[in-house]
Amino acid sequence: MREKTATHLGRRTVLAASAGALAMPFVARAQANPLKIGIQSIFSGPIALLGASSKGAIQPEIDRINATGGLLGRQIQPIYRDSKGQPQEAARVARELVNTDGCEILLNAEASSGAYAVQEVVRDLGVLCIHTTAEASSLTADPKLRAPTAFRSARQGVHDAIVGGSYSAKVAVAKKLTKWATCSPDYSFGRDTTAQFGEFLKHFAPDIEITSQSWPKMGQPDFTEVVTKILQAKPQALYSAMFAGDLSAFINQGNAYALFSAMQVFVPAMGDLPVLTTIKNMPAGIHSAARYLPTFPDTPVNAAWYEANRKFNNNDYPTNWSWECSTAARFMEAAVKKAGSTNGKAAAAALEGLTIDSPFSTTGKITMRAEDHTMIGYAIGWGTTVPKEPFVTGIEPGDWGQITELETEWKKKNGYI
Amino acid sequence: MGRMHIWRDIAIGCLVVAVLAAIPSLLPSKAFQDFVIRCASMALFATSLNMLVGYTGLSSFGHGMFFGLGTYSFALLMQKTGMSLLTAFLLTLLITAMTATAVGAICIRLRLIYFAFVTLAMQMLLHSVIISWVGLTGGDQGLQGGIPRRTFAGVDLSNQYNLYVFSAVMLVVGLLLMRHIVNTTFGTSLRMIRDNETRAAFLGIIVWRVKLTVFVLSAVFASVGGMVMSLFVSGAYPELINWPISGDAIFAIVMGGVGSFLGPTVGTMILLLLNDVVTRQTEYYGLALGLIILGFALGLRRGVLDFITERLGGRPAGGIS
Repeated sequence: MREKTATHLGRRTVLAASAGALAMPFVARAQANPLKIGIQSIFSGPIALLGASSKGAIQPEIDRINATGGLLGRQIQPIYRDSKGQPQEAARVARELVNTDGCEILLNAEASSGAYAVQEVVRDLGVLCIHTTAEASSLTADPKLRAPTAFRSARQGVHDAIVGGSYSAKVAVAKKLTKWATCSPDYSFGRDTTAQFGEFLKHFAPDIEITSQSWPKMGQPDFTEVVTKILQAKPQALYSAMFAGDLSAFINQGNAYALFSAMQVFVPAMGDLPVLTTIKNMPAGIHSAARYLPTFPDTPVNAAWYEANRKFNNNDYPTNWSWECSTAARFMEAAVKKAGSTNGKAAAAALEGLTIDSPFSTTGKITMRAEDHTMIGYAIGWGTTVPKEPFVTGIEPGDWGQITELETEWKKKNGYI
Repeated sequence: MGRMHIWRDIAIGCLVVAVLAAIPSLLPSKAFQDFVIRCASMALFATSLNMLVGYTGLSSFGHGMFFGLGTYSFALLMQKTGMSLLTAFLLTLLITAMTATAVGAICIRLRLIYFAFVTLAMQMLLHSVIISWVGLTGGDQGLQGGIPRRTFAGVDLSNQYNLYVFSAVMLVVGLLLMRHIVNTTFGTSLRMIRDNETRAAFLGIIVWRVKLTVFVLSAVFASVGGMVMSLFVSGAYPELINWPISGDAIFAIVMGGVGSFLGPTVGTMILLLLNDVVTRQTEYYGLALGLIILGFALGLRRGVLDFITERLGGRPAGGIS
């Protein structure tokens, strides 16, 4: 038997080498043919945090995919564009990303109004699109608005309303809170969210009465008038759909009038780290949804994602938008792998009903529901604030069985089913 | 303007449409088609505003209300009724004309800054109605759900190339009509009112009637621009009727040239190119655009087309002195 030497070339080696040599042009072409992903958001103006935290969550996912060989053997090349928060510009940018830059997939991190505009472009162009931050329920719930290749990896307003209504009603019954006031931003999101919350609150606790409603303007610098109106109404409980900078300002100004010790307060958007960390004297005992918290779900994978995200973003806190964007990138990855293609129809078919492992779920799994292209199974719950980390404690997770049941009723009521 | 000039303009217009229609076969860039569609929409809007600003001396700060009204009326008619695109198009023109008559009747008796402010107030009022009437307009989320039945004379406008050609035709026809209007004796009356309103009145021109007529006509052309935009974005959004959209048209006029008929079209092209190029490079779009406009204002001291016309020894057609 001939002894193998280091220089000997066997038949198999020669065949493998030949195959490798033949494959080289294809490998080179794959490397030279990156998979372009269009990511549009608001990168300028007062809501620039949306763009910054979206990019700060999507980019690490893309880096991870690229480091492990890319998607379908192609390196992902993200292209970020600013829509300036204008719907018509969002539509233009979406067209430009696909038509000019050659993006094969869109991750749309626009606010709701921009998302509706992009939805129509996606309907025309037929590319795979995942809305990462738009929470307005009708975007996917209304069959007339739904687009065949568009999905949502964000919370849905009606889900929050059901869980918020259920939790708040439980507190209201226990503490006999029947007289309520609301204070929400004066635009569609604020009014719709408040109406939905009120609807589900009364569903669970029919005795509740809303006696005072305030609608401050977005970006209003002084909330004195609103705070005094609430105090004069003497409600036992207050609900507010305010968020981000407006919410921080409202809490800081309300503190001066001891507003939060005069009544039970329910604010779904409190449980977001950028808000929690910018309030000077965080009142204890405010009831809030857990928008994103490293302690909910309290799992090692969520804690690891939190640490990695902060490290990537120069120690900035991740937002609610961050986990939604991260989830969008993971859904995109899984769908394209499953379909073996970036083709809009094929990838959409693969994404329908797809379940992925996720750090942002109490069960460790998130599903893209097939019938209405929206995400379910994500971590959703309410707790109460404390002035120091972890900021929100005693979080009660929502029951997805109950959410789905009431959501179906809500859809029937609105003519969506 | 003689008949020869009219036919010459029509021939040039047909040539422009033919060239634009042929370009995609040589340069298959969908981005270029998108650019032309947006340009057609904004150029119609800016040129219609220049009929007031450049030719009549009426500085309207609220002309965007008619652009937005065109967008919303057309989109709503298409969505909420079963009417055809042509019927919705014509009905939108009628709605805009009626609204402009009512608004104009209040505004045109005012002069200078008062006229500007009242038109701005009217636009803000209409914007507030759009925002508040959530059930009809979708409020600040905009009119969602897209525009159905986008078929015009058997041509499917949901096809991008068809919409591109349609927009080019709308632009050329709109510009030809506006050019014809400002070159008739009616146009001469406009310039006379702009230069000396009292003298025009003494010469027998019924000033308010001429002003109201041009106000309504310019509103109608602005609404055509709005309808093209509505087809492009397949919907209607409050940003399209908010006051900054009027500012965009004024920027386009200032950058292109208030005294040249095609100045607003050139200004629109510059403005959109700047938007597209600068937005790709930086999120500090406003800062970059502000510096560029400052450069235009301090460097050229007039719009591009006015500057070129004067350099070539001519006098801007609008006759701004």
